[in-house]
Amino acid sequence: MIASVVAILEPDCSPRAVLEDITQIPGAEIGDFTQSPRRIPITIDSHDPNALEETTLKLQQCPGVAFVDVVFVHFEDESPGLVRSVQQESHTG
Amino acid sequence: MSNCNHELAAGVARRDFIKASAMAAAAAVASGSTYSLPILAAEPNEKIQWDKAPCRFCGTGCHVQVGVSKGKVVAVAGDMNAEVNKGLLCVKGYHVGSALYGKDRLTKPLLRDGEGYREISWDQAIQTIADRIEAAPERFAFYGSGQWTIPEGYAAQKFMKGGLSNNHIDPNARLCMASAVTGFLATYGVDEPAGCYDDLDACDVLIMWGNNPAEMHPVLFSRVVDRRSRGEEIMLIDISTRRTRTTEACQHYLEMKGHGDLAIANGIAHLLIKNGTYNRKFVESFCNFKAPDDENPNLNGKSISFEDYKQALAPYTPEYVEKLSGVPADKIRMLADLFGKPELKITSLWCMGVNQHTRGTAMNALIHGIHLLSGHFGTPGDAPTSLTGQPSACGTVREVGTLAHALPGGRVVANEVHRQQAEEFWNLPVGRINPQPGFHTVEMWQSFCTPTDQGGTIGTIWVQVTNPGQTLPNLNKLFNPKGDNKAGLEDKFLIVSDVYPTATTKLADLILPSAMWVEKNGVVGNSERRTQQWFKMVDPPGEARDDCWQTIAVARELFDRGNQGMRDRDGQFIFEIKDENQQSVAIWDWNHYYDVNVDKHLFEEYRQFSRLKHKDLAPYDQYVQARGLRWPVVEKDGQWKETHLRFSEGYDPYVEPGSEIQFYHSTTGDDRAQIWYHPWIAPAETPDEDYPLMLTTGRVLEHWHSGSMTRRIPELSRAMPGGYLEISAEDATVYDLRNGDEVLVESRRGSLVIPVWIDGRGRPPRGTVFIPFFDETLLVNDLTLDAFDPFSKQPDYKKTAVRIRKA
Repeated sequence: MIASVVAILEPDCSPRAVLEDITQIPGAEIGDFTQSPRRIPITIDSHDPNALEETTLKLQQCPGVAFVDVVFVHFEDESPGLVRSVQQESHTG
Repeated sequence: MSNCNHELAAGVARRDFIKASAMAAAAAVASGSTYSLPILAAEPNEKIQWDKAPCRFCGTGCHVQVGVSKGKVVAVAGDMNAEVNKGLLCVKGYHVGSALYGKDRLTKPLLRDGEGYREISWDQAIQTIADRIEAAPERFAFYGSGQWTIPEGYAAQKFMKGGLSNNHIDPNARLCMASAVTGFLATYGVDEPAGCYDDLDACDVLIMWGNNPAEMHPVLFSRVVDRRSRGEEIMLIDISTRRTRTTEACQHYLEMKGHGDLAIANGIAHLLIKNGTYNRKFVESFCNFKAPDDENPNLNGKSISFEDYKQALAPYTPEYVEKLSGVPADKIRMLADLFGKPELKITSLWCMGVNQHTRGTAMNALIHGIHLLSGHFGTPGDAPTSLTGQPSACGTVREVGTLAHALPGGRVVANEVHRQQAEEFWNLPVGRINPQPGFHTVEMWQSFCTPTDQGGTIGTIWVQVTNPGQTLPNLNKLFNPKGDNKAGLEDKFLIVSDVYPTATTKLADLILPSAMWVEKNGVVGNSERRTQQWFKMVDPPGEARDDCWQTIAVARELFDRGNQGMRDRDGQFIFEIKDENQQSVAIWDWNHYYDVNVDKHLFEEYRQFSRLKHKDLAPYDQYVQARGLRWPVVEKDGQWKETHLRFSEGYDPYVEPGSEIQFYHSTTGDDRAQIWYHPWIAPAETPDEDYPLMLTTGRVLEHWHSGSMTRRIPELSRAMPGGYLEISAEDATVYDLRNGDEVLVESRRGSLVIPVWIDGRGRPPRGTVFIPFFDETLLVNDLTLDAFDPFSKQPDYKKTAVRIRKA
């Protein structure tokens, strides 16, 4: 699963410190942000769908990150299935 | 190189390509450059076809680009060409493609057979519905949705009101934005916001009234946060009953008691007048004053003078408002000071907190009133704007008028001229449309769950695109009796069209498998008057079929049986569609449904209705080209132009030159809006000795409404797996609770055992608890009350007195 997001930074934070935090997150790769230093393009590469969600959450929780917007997701290789907690009895008698 | 290595290398190269494409998209969005996402399909061997569609979920109306390969949706991307989201999506939006592929999609019509179900053919299913209607057409009701597409809702509307002369059709939007409708009607004489999302880019102050856009409309909220990240100054104010993710981004958090908003609004108006900071010119030029007519309650109320208005507000001093609302007096003064500054641009946002309110109409009108009184109206950034929760609550419910009292285009069944206009557009015999409004949602389900011999007149309900078994209030009264063998409801029959098994299908007698989202054509209308179109991209699974086809097929079955209502005044089928050669197309036969674009035909017919209230729609083909257009859309110099601001000269084409502001649907016939006084009134239920806590309900970021789609997306479900009771640390100590403990929650209507989350996603104050409604295994609406606003008939899901104890 591959996704890309844009992390929007708080106006009063140090971008350098935030970027250092982001680089510590496995699977996250920072793109070119020179044109807009407080809007950071990031790709997330994961073979585990859970990790994608966790990585997005970690980004959101980085000090100085105001918001994380998702731009793109490619899930062709995944097979979304029914989550066990909502599995219901068969409706055929 | 071996085949294995070759495939491995190709796989890596392809992954690298996708990753590069993903980064290119993010970099383009981050830098704000123009960018066309379909270049993602530029890889030579990549056979992805891209097309546009609005997201399936909320009322924001984000456009996504949908990538299809081998008949399956394989990718989604934010649409850079869409003004609403400018390439961005929220966590639900980027998983929207997966919503199609839960493993338990309904694929066959199922008829109840004892305790289980048996598969039947579509012909049998259509005949079964026709039998029920034919036996007692007046006892049939249609329960629809703000997720109906415009053509689906329009077909259902025409089938019921134009075909069966039956007005028992109402949508789930009655539960979410009916109070916004009545608030707009009472104030401006016509529904829907004057402003639009552009105001979020222009305002200096954004006030959120009981609204949590950081989770519920995240892309809109991110537009505002983004402005701040660029160095713009914008003040964010959160008025709410509990802290949420929105609170974290706001400079001011005003924590109020339930119904405190009524007092706050009156307090602001009181100070504007007392301080002489209201906009005298605006008020004298464009406004009247109104108060409720207690002897004859109605949406027009009674006219009062400015002096009467001032007198009525006199008690609402900041200190009195503090007592009623819990918000400190100095914060009330701060709000009044902000509204008193004409140089500021102020936008208000609200959604369920204001609408799901037994004084919802009043509260909507009061927010409009503050903006009008202060003159913060009619220029970019100065707007009172209600948001909707469903993708077509505006387009299908409010505009098509799929409410029990309404007809398309702002018409009502009680108005003879409106009925005649509808009969003319539909080519029906005069008098076909019933002048008596049908049952609204609560009445409809109460009647259905009441035995026939006790006056329960509704015998059959057909539910499309919604899940009332989870979302109706007070389920033990309005839905659950259907499943009780001793309830005396054996003759009642529930038909449910849906894509997955739900809390509603559990009690259904007939289940119909439906196509969803890009498995069918569609047109919807979002919160900012934007009408959006998409084409079918993939086939639905199994025998799932379009909801619109289902309605038309039943209509045709009745027509073939000789039902006169399914004939127009020339004896033709009411859904007669001809092809380019003027040959009738058998759209009731699934094999021919897509021989023509049924959506286009229905939309063009419906478009005729849109002019009366100046909600003009463009031809269907204009929407094919655009990422939505905001009505009124009028043709000028050969171009179809949308409207950013209504009622404002220079923006709204229907405002006469020199008028500056013109409320051309004024209920007083003088082009003026109405500023209302409404008193503070206590909620229908408040905590007491027996039930000492106030329960409020709502949504969470990861799940959309009842979770029937998002809980089938593993990533979202794992991120937020189940329902919970959110409680403050102080109350948790009082009740000796730890995270994960189970508590028994009881109201006067039902009970629920649910795990505790102390200071969870949101942080309620002492005395308040919160339960989200997305989890069908933990039905919070077993607890809620069905008290509703007297005008909108919308129930209050936000204020239920409960008690708890460790289970």
